[in-house]
Amino acid sequence: MEILQAAMAGTLESSDAQVTVEPGDGSVELTLSSSVMNQYGRQIKATVLETLERLNVSSAKVTVVDKGALDCTLKARVECAVFRSCGASAENIPWGGAIR
Amino acid sequence: MSYLSRIAPTDRRRRAQVDALLEQEGIQRDGNLDYTCGLFDEDGALLATGSCFGPTLRCLAVDHAHQGEGLLNQVLTHLTEYQAERGCFQLFLYTKCQSAKFFGDLGFYEIARVDGKLVFMENRRDGFARYCQKLSQHRRGDAAAIVMNANPFTRGHLYLVEQAAKEWETVHLFVLSEDASLVPYPVRWKLVTEGVAHLPNVVCHPSGPYIISAATFPSYFLKDADTVILTHAALDIAVFGKIAAALGIVCRYVGEEPGSHVTALYNQTMAQRLPEMGIDCRIIPRLTEGDTVVSASTVRKAIHDGDLEAVRPWVPETTWRYLTSPAAASVLQAIQRSGSVVHY
Repeated sequence: MEILQAAMAGTLESSDAQVTVEPGDGSVELTLSSSVMNQYGRQIKATVLETLERLNVSSAKVTVVDKGALDCTLKARVECAVFRSCGASAENIPWGGAIR
Repeated sequence: MSYLSRIAPTDRRRRAQVDALLEQEGIQRDGNLDYTCGLFDEDGALLATGSCFGPTLRCLAVDHAHQGEGLLNQVLTHLTEYQAERGCFQLFLYTKCQSAKFFGDLGFYEIARVDGKLVFMENRRDGFARYCQKLSQHRRGDAAAIVMNANPFTRGHLYLVEQAAKEWETVHLFVLSEDASLVPYPVRWKLVTEGVAHLPNVVCHPSGPYIISAATFPSYFLKDADTVILTHAALDIAVFGKIAAALGIVCRYVGEEPGSHVTALYNQTMAQRLPEMGIDCRIIPRLTEGDTVVSASTVRKAIHDGDLEAVRPWVPETTWRYLTSPAAASVLQAIQRSGSVVHY
């Protein structure tokens, strides 16, 4: 999927994450800050990158401010931000396809 | 259960609650806010508040009896969503030095600080670093800097640039890119670059969000109290110090300011703070023509009074050509219609 415009999903509240995606310049550039960076930083990064790959996002600037979100929450927030960024969040969401 | 709500400018009762909370927490209320929200408990008492102005978040406060409950997170979520809705993703904020760490946990990074007063932050980890890195490509030995709005570019500006260009190998000329002036930014940029084209050692830069912008220095563009102006000025200069380091700037030229209150305060702050950072501050007396001070304010005033011909000796050929071209009609009209043509 191509990131057409900047979009955001999620909140800064405890157990959630705020994900912002913006058009990139050819690669995925991830900026992560997390309240549990020392414990789960690597796991969070892997989950975000994996989700982006599944959505076929190869060029984006992604900012994640994590407040201790579970993996499923992180995935949902990344998916939502990406779909919003290409105007696909209202319809045609590929439930069971790219989103599982 | 608490709830978050927008506070309309006309909602006097809730505005008073915001003012009381800010005062209680020792935060100065900015004169210019374009959006304010509050977090209320079920009895309607205000627990936390936050506001926006342009790309900045400001006047953020949480009642100290409710600190540590994650209320700031809710306010910040609401404000970032509001900013995203209006297409603004690069955000800035000011906070007291002792609160900076809370915003660090919420994805904001420090750009500069005025000790004991405030910290200036942005939501990009490398936003300012990248800006400086991009500028540093133009680094060439010891250099001088000038920052100007050039609203519009006059012979007074040109005189200042020529003074600096005579004495220094390189002059970095920053043109304010905030579009808050009567002459639009693309026109100001064009007139400055054309006006200094004969000086090969002058490098022009758009000032971007980090020099006298709505983010660093909102009171430059909109009226505010002196204490607010002085704080904004000190912050702007703290940021400038870092930009100067990236470009090898050791001297800043400033035009003397007899007319404008806010620029006078800014100059005064510069004269005091720049030498502390090892940057020389030279205040150059204004160019005069007869007994008129040649400044952009003088030019705008003449245009406002319908006397375009009077402007001719005060502006370089390039600016004059623009002012008399059909393209300038809308700008001239805007100046004539404006109620306040002189910078406050």
